[in-house]
Amino acid sequence: MAEMWIHMGPQHPMTHGLWNLRIKVDGETITDAVPELGYLHRSVEKIGERRKYFMNTTLTDRLCYASAMTWTHCYCLTVEELMGVETPQRAKYIRTIVLELQRIASHLMWLGAYLPDLGLITGFLYGMRDREMFLNLLEIPSGGRLLYNYVKIGGVKRDLPPGFAAKAERVMQTLEKRLKEYEDLYDNSKIFRMRTDDVGCYSASDAINWGITGPNLRSAGVAFDLRQADSYDAYPELDFTPVTTSASDGISDCFSRYRQRIDEMYQSMDLIRQALAKMPEGKVMADSVPVRASGEAFRRTEDSRGEALMYLVGDGTDRPYRWKIRSPMFTTVSASPHFLKGYKVADVPAIMGSIDMCIGETDK
Amino acid sequence: METGKFIQQLGKHKGTSNSSALRSNVGCISVTREASPAFFTALKEDYAFDHCSLISAVDNQSGFELVYHFSIIGESGQMLEVHVDLPRDTPTIDSITHLWGGADWHEREAYDLMGIYFIGHPDLKRVLLPDGFAGHPLRKDYVYEIHEEEW
Amino acid sequence: MSRQQVRGNPGMRRGLGSRTSNPTTMMEDPPSGDWLTLRSDQFLKWVDDAVYNIAEQTGIRDVVNRVTRPIFNWALRYSPWPLHFGIMCCALEMGAAGGPDHDSERMGVVYRSSPRQCDILIVNGPVCEKLRPKLKTLYEQMADPKWVIAMGECAIGGGPYWDSYSVVAGADTFIPVDVYIPGCPVRPEALMHGFLTLQKKIREQEPGYFLRR
Repeated sequence: MAEMWIHMGPQHPMTHGLWNLRIKVDGETITDAVPELGYLHRSVEKIGERRKYFMNTTLTDRLCYASAMTWTHCYCLTVEELMGVETPQRAKYIRTIVLELQRIASHLMWLGAYLPDLGLITGFLYGMRDREMFLNLLEIPSGGRLLYNYVKIGGVKRDLPPGFAAKAERVMQTLEKRLKEYEDLYDNSKIFRMRTDDVGCYSASDAINWGITGPNLRSAGVAFDLRQADSYDAYPELDFTPVTTSASDGISDCFSRYRQRIDEMYQSMDLIRQALAKMPEGKVMADSVPVRASGEAFRRTEDSRGEALMYLVGDGTDRPYRWKIRSPMFTTVSASPHFLKGYKVADVPAIMGSIDMCIGETDK
Repeated sequence: METGKFIQQLGKHKGTSNSSALRSNVGCISVTREASPAFFTALKEDYAFDHCSLISAVDNQSGFELVYHFSIIGESGQMLEVHVDLPRDTPTIDSITHLWGGADWHEREAYDLMGIYFIGHPDLKRVLLPDGFAGHPLRKDYVYEIHEEEW
Repeated sequence: MSRQQVRGNPGMRRGLGSRTSNPTTMMEDPPSGDWLTLRSDQFLKWVDDAVYNIAEQTGIRDVVNRVTRPIFNWALRYSPWPLHFGIMCCALEMGAAGGPDHDSERMGVVYRSSPRQCDILIVNGPVCEKLRPKLKTLYEQMADPKWVIAMGECAIGGGPYWDSYSVVAGADTFIPVDVYIPGCPVRPEALMHGFLTLQKKIREQEPGYFLRR
């Protein structure tokens, strides 16, 4: 019995972030796995207590850097709940639009990182090229291409300039054409299907028990989307249903997770078009935002990777007393040993890439 | 079931207090530490809360407080916030890993950063900090050196 | 013959033809000057020392170095191979710099997964206490000549996490840094400028390699 422990990480091209995966292998088959985090633990919760409420938006952007807008937005929603601030209607629509643009950019980043894991290095170039279009679009109102500091407590920093809707429409049409090409290329590729079909399977009930949320849960056929269930911003006024895929009844494998994210990109584009059409005129920032807050509040949002929840306790000063962040990837990585066992070492990049990890948010 | 009604029903359990509705789909309740195992079992089995969203540990200087957030995976998005107070000198509580597998690492993180010990947890050790780290940093009495003069 | 330093010491420069002996298998020294009684590795070291001394004293080393330095320096400058290592947000921008819009491969940048095959270590994020020994190991595994680029505020001095209990205040507290690129996050254009700055530094400051000690 040739069993041994292999460390994959913290420096490994597969890791998508800085963590260590220790797998116990018997020959080539994985018999156990222990993920080890903490290489990126920046103690955001502790230093967040030293900074004022509005200063923490710089820290939240860097929580999950592939999808920065959604984390700042979750934090701002929580602080607005704590302080009792009402955002204007136009700000809610702008937030919805940039959040969906961010979701598409995040899924394209995932695509650009997942395909090289499987050996399809051209996919990296395609993913990066398309993602640059969306980063340029997000740079127009916010000024930043990766970390925006755009969503503020009480609204957004600046209004969308005129001509933004036309640019966004052009970009989305380009992406739709290209996504059709990629579907032809990858869905019918025998090697891609062989590496992702029936690999890394888990059932819907297992996923719910392990705390998996977001696209990873919806790829098992569970139609649970926080933009509908626990709606916020302009989502109550938009018309959509949660997208689900599944390999077979209630089972999620790598291919269904891949398809889930492609389908979510189409859905995001539809949501952006609806929001651009319905957006009202008005202010983009609340009239006054208090400096001090007391009490407790929590809000959860649908991040690109799952359920992001922030819990804030204020003690009457201008700094938080306790700030707790829930990262969807924290629970998914903790559940990963369950759907790694029984597969081969060469399947590890396929499985761990398909759950779209971002270690910045797990390590806080 | 509507939040107001089910909060009332929850309030009938032993050891609960301060039940209220925070938002239209969010309820809030406090439970004593002794009554918490039975309460959590009832939440999972009778009220079908199948997702443990978050376990936060708060250091109120007179004691610790654990704040649990549970939710139902379904269209209603029903959530419940449970507060449990723990004494400062014995911050221990029964683990809920046997009910919700997703609570596993949340409890490890609460142990790692705040020092709350979960009885019955399968593998309670540090998850974010290195193994040899001394102390629980998120406590209010944790003091560390900040090199302000070098900045 | 003095005891050689153990392998993997980053301070030790190796020229063409110098050898290291494993101290654990060294036997006692032979009578010096009597080349017939030398073991093969001692003989080769004697030849190496003799060649070096002759070349140095007659000035041949200097002349050959003047010819070979531009060639080797050109090769070093235009093939910087970084390590496939990403820490945080700047790593995504490092990846975007490798994409079609800001192609970094036209500068000869080829990311390698093994530190033994790399020339540059790009530190692109905050270095936490848990990561510090691993990063030092990665740095020591890289062969000379090697350079370090500190990309982003976190690597320069801790960045937004300067007052954290688990973030080291900058990469230069434990490894020598050659190029600092400010930014949070560093734009891909700034990273390209960082590569160009490193190229300029290599051209101006890197000594020649012929019979280098």
